[in-house]
Amino acid sequence: MALRVPVNLRKNLSVVLYAFQGLSILAVIVGIASLFLLPLDEYSRRTYISENALLPGQVHAYFGGSEQNIVRAFRREVDSLGNSTSDVVAERMAEIFRSAGLKVGKQRYSYKAAGGEYSGENVYAVLHAPRGDATEAIVLCAPWRNIDHLLNEGGVALTLALSRYFKRWSLWSKDIIFLISSDARAGPQAWVDAYHDLHGGDIQSLSVKSGAIQGVVVVDYPGAYHRFESLHVIYDGINGQLPNLDLINTAVQISRDQMGLRSELQEMWGHDDGYRHRLRTMLRGMVNQALGHSTGPHSSFIPYHIDAITLATHGDGGWHDEGSLGRTVESVFRSLNNLLEHFHQSFFFYLLMAPKRFVSIGTYLPAAMLLAVGLTLTAIRLWVDPRSRSGGEKKGEKKEEGVVVDGGPKRELFLPMSIVIGVHFCGAIPFAVFNSVDYKSMSSTFNIFVAASLVLPAIISILMTTTIPAHRLLPAFHLSRCFSLLFLGMFLSTLATLNFSLSFLIGLFSLPLMFARTTPDSIPLGLVNSILLLVTSPFAAVFAVAGYWGLGVEDILKEASFGWWVWGMWTPVVVWCVWWPAWVVGLISVDSGLVMGVLGRK
Amino acid sequence: MTPFPSRSHQWLSSSPLDIFTFLLLLLLTVFGNTVVADTYKEKLDLQPLPGQFLLASFNFQSHGPIEAFNKQMFQLFPRSLGQILQYTHTRELHLRFALGRWDSELWGAQPGNGQNAGGTGVETWAWVEADNEAEAEARWTALNNALSGLFCASLNFIDSTRTIRPVMSFKPTGDYSKKDKSRLFLLHGSLPKEPVCTENLTPFLKLLPCKGKSGISTLLDGHKLFDASFQSMSIDVRPICSPHTETCDIEIQQTIDMVLDISRSLQRKDSPVPRPRDQHELICDTSKPYASNEYCYPMDNSVDLPWSLSDLFGRTISGGCPLAINPPEKGDEAPHVCIHAPEKKLKTMQTLELAAPATSQGVQPDLNCYVLKENVPFDISFSKQQPPISPLRQEPLLYAERSFTGHGQEHGGVKTVLRNPDPVDSIGVVYLESLPWFMKPYLHTFKARVLSASDVREEDVILDLYYRPALDRKRGTQLEAKLIVPPNSVVILTYDFEKAVLRYTEYPPDANRGFDVASAIITIPAQRRNSNGGKIPATSIRTTSLLLSLPTPDFSMPYNVIIFTSTIMALAFGSIFNLLVRRFVAVDEVQRVDLKGKVRGLLGRLRKGKTE
Repeated sequence: MALRVPVNLRKNLSVVLYAFQGLSILAVIVGIASLFLLPLDEYSRRTYISENALLPGQVHAYFGGSEQNIVRAFRREVDSLGNSTSDVVAERMAEIFRSAGLKVGKQRYSYKAAGGEYSGENVYAVLHAPRGDATEAIVLCAPWRNIDHLLNEGGVALTLALSRYFKRWSLWSKDIIFLISSDARAGPQAWVDAYHDLHGGDIQSLSVKSGAIQGVVVVDYPGAYHRFESLHVIYDGINGQLPNLDLINTAVQISRDQMGLRSELQEMWGHDDGYRHRLRTMLRGMVNQALGHSTGPHSSFIPYHIDAITLATHGDGGWHDEGSLGRTVESVFRSLNNLLEHFHQSFFFYLLMAPKRFVSIGTYLPAAMLLAVGLTLTAIRLWVDPRSRSGGEKKGEKKEEGVVVDGGPKRELFLPMSIVIGVHFCGAIPFAVFNSVDYKSMSSTFNIFVAASLVLPAIISILMTTTIPAHRLLPAFHLSRCFSLLFLGMFLSTLATLNFSLSFLIGLFSLPLMFARTTPDSIPLGLVNSILLLVTSPFAAVFAVAGYWGLGVEDILKEASFGWWVWGMWTPVVVWCVWWPAWVVGLISVDSGLVMGVLGRK
Repeated sequence: MTPFPSRSHQWLSSSPLDIFTFLLLLLLTVFGNTVVADTYKEKLDLQPLPGQFLLASFNFQSHGPIEAFNKQMFQLFPRSLGQILQYTHTRELHLRFALGRWDSELWGAQPGNGQNAGGTGVETWAWVEADNEAEAEARWTALNNALSGLFCASLNFIDSTRTIRPVMSFKPTGDYSKKDKSRLFLLHGSLPKEPVCTENLTPFLKLLPCKGKSGISTLLDGHKLFDASFQSMSIDVRPICSPHTETCDIEIQQTIDMVLDISRSLQRKDSPVPRPRDQHELICDTSKPYASNEYCYPMDNSVDLPWSLSDLFGRTISGGCPLAINPPEKGDEAPHVCIHAPEKKLKTMQTLELAAPATSQGVQPDLNCYVLKENVPFDISFSKQQPPISPLRQEPLLYAERSFTGHGQEHGGVKTVLRNPDPVDSIGVVYLESLPWFMKPYLHTFKARVLSASDVREEDVILDLYYRPALDRKRGTQLEAKLIVPPNSVVILTYDFEKAVLRYTEYPPDANRGFDVASAIITIPAQRRNSNGGKIPATSIRTTSLLLSLPTPDFSMPYNVIIFTSTIMALAFGSIFNLLVRRFVAVDEVQRVDLKGKVRGLLGRLRKGKTE
């Protein structure tokens, strides 16, 4: 009995094909649906502190009182330097640090990306831990200008004041580094690269160093008005890497439970912890993770396995002032100081949906994996499908005779393989072009490129349909789709373990590739397919992202180029060398169907 | 109160053998003129350092004839240590406990040319007398185990993987005959992770003749000592022979160097928690345009804080140690407390109940010395000084800094920066690195780079190299390099290394912290300056220790793996076993079991049997 089933199935392949199709569609639907289940109480968990040594909020924070007079004075000093060049700023900051008795270092840096030059001067000071042996360090960072290019008056003033305040404590077990980076994007990257001696030529080495960095807290407190409402905890790192969840939990717990300071995530002000708000927080987090860009100075530290967060103030109205923020930072530092080991206990892969609610990788990973499984199953179906064999008109008879069992007509692999491999190699072209073009010509280059990647598949399909006999043509397109989907499925399932959000979003955009086939019989179907492909193209995604941030396309491309040269951001590689080729292969098959339909070759 | 009665009491109570030696000693002291009494000296050097710090160097030294030592006749030499040294045939011992780091940028050269300082944690080296290497090693292990018990430190963890045999860096400081020298083996071990604390201080003080009850050692309170920004304790035992009389002495020298943060120590007196000061206590810069009650631009270090010994150490010196006070008839009084400071600053100093200032010392304007009297407390105080007087600072011979480069779990690099501040003379240096076996350096990447105005070729920097490669789990790497650091220039030594993967039982507790790599030891041998023929004394510098992160497993994983594999084994075994032993037959092939017939047949057979 058991042996009979495959024979029957081989005689009647359509059952298998339908089963595969059904399974792949089911996988995709379940995958997407499972993502929307995550915010429910049953699937997400309350956050908890995993590392016992942290003891967040167990100590009294004393910062305040007369220290606030000092913060205010430093605020005036920062304000008076507002428009000075970075070397003047660095010199003045160094002077203040030196007078507090700290070791001071300065670092000039310069990056070139997208035709622009990004330079500045970081200044930092090291507070030697009394009795410490320079093996471990924690960093308090304040960018001179924050990610929105606002003067970070409060943050810098608070850092200067805390550097003096911390020096009076004798309990530090780790060195504390106070870093005032020139900006929020390139400066911290230059500093952390140089700290590990992995910097390029235009970046100065650090003259003063300390031990292995265990944690980083960035203070972003811009504006002249010193009252604020709530604390915005920003945590996304480069390439969607995340800091250890324990660090975020510590900050949230200290600010909420100890200081009575509401904490917010992903710019979701006034979170009500309901389903909709949780879902939106999670999706915003996923977009940031998928883009893989820097969301603050902390992002640059995370690739070095240094856990880092930014604490940004939000709102003008509240009753909190520099005292509350200072005490929060003090308490977080006391917790970090307690650490015996590097952060390792809690999660590194998670999605946060409320300050105290998260899902871990075990729960959310199936969503992206199922999308990849859907693509892979489709690829397998295409392989099994007899239309992949160049058997001509006789294939129907053969199927009935059961000859297929022994192999049947051969699949011709050369043509589809060369299409898929060739197109994937072409992916290097946009990647190289967009990383070397000037900002000014970015927009026009992009338009040319969009036109090229629309016209080129059409030309290729016209060339192929006119030169290659029809009975070899259809299987060739069939198999090229099969290979490209197989590759995409494999890649996305691997990527899902590293950057879930990027994998999921690309998987979502690639869904039409599962259905977009060569339809020489029906021109309308071909048109629908090609429109679907256009809507879900990488270009459409670039436009969508531009719309989401309210920027021009050229700004997004500049960001990508800057990300590649400064941060080592891999998102452009994934988009241009994996997604774009898969999309082009899909478009070639669809276009060929149209061309064949128009030319009447079936 | 003298410590003698208690000591002799201790002797009497310890064992019959001790009583015997005590009696023998008595006899010898009565009848023999050859026995010379041990001498004991102690001295406290105080030196204000830049940045509101105070360096306090305690030095305790005792001498005794080596014959008495060899006959186990201990007077001032601590018996517990002496017996260990004799049992393990250790001729010269150096033991270092250190915490914190010496900030040479700010404080200048280390006291005593760094000869009394060790790397972070515990460091020890000794010359052990033995016939061969194996014997020396066995004695070294015995020595460390015994010292471990004596000093409550994990010295017993100095095993073969942490022991090296330096070739160029250490020279014996004692005097030996040629014959003896050939039988001495130098062994060196370090424990960079060892936290030095009060449990190490107590046994250290117990070795002193006055045991911290009188003399300058009364200042040594664990709370203050271990709140210091830098502190180092050392014990050195060595034989000293005088060339004239051919008699040898055994010398034990104990030192403690500590650097106190004056402002932090004073503030501790007021409140253990550094709460923000009251508004009126702040020193604000009133010249700022915004200066008001709400705004305060702080003015730091604009004043030398007033302090006294009792403020910083929590107590005064309770009189001199009787053993260190020379009888008045001898005349030459060695001072017990000396303070080095600029003349101007010394003028602001006051002494409390004091002891006669030493007069025998050469009159130096920047040095004040005092001789303590028995049972007379001693204290000195400085008054507030505005503007501050910058203290003396001696430029160190060399600045050294070491750090890791690169990141990741597989490879890494080490970068050591050596800077010679001297504008004229180059300096010869021996660089010693003792690496754990799981940090495997690539010797071909060991390079020196020179940043200097003069054109010194890079291959001229490294003169000699001694390298003993690591053996997995057996011994660590030893790397010694003889270098020349050109004047006014920076030499950057770099090398790459590979990280080994450990077995999961080899990880220490708190494995995710990483592994401490011992400080590099930089020795500057005594040499002459090229320019003026002046002498450069033998100096030793330690870099800070490093924290090496290795790939660390999730230690709950073995448990998960066991559960996972057990489940799979159970499932696979169960089903396969089932398939193997079970026979599958079609339903119609099964033979009907005719229970009735069987029973009937059985009964029939029984019946037959009965009838037969």
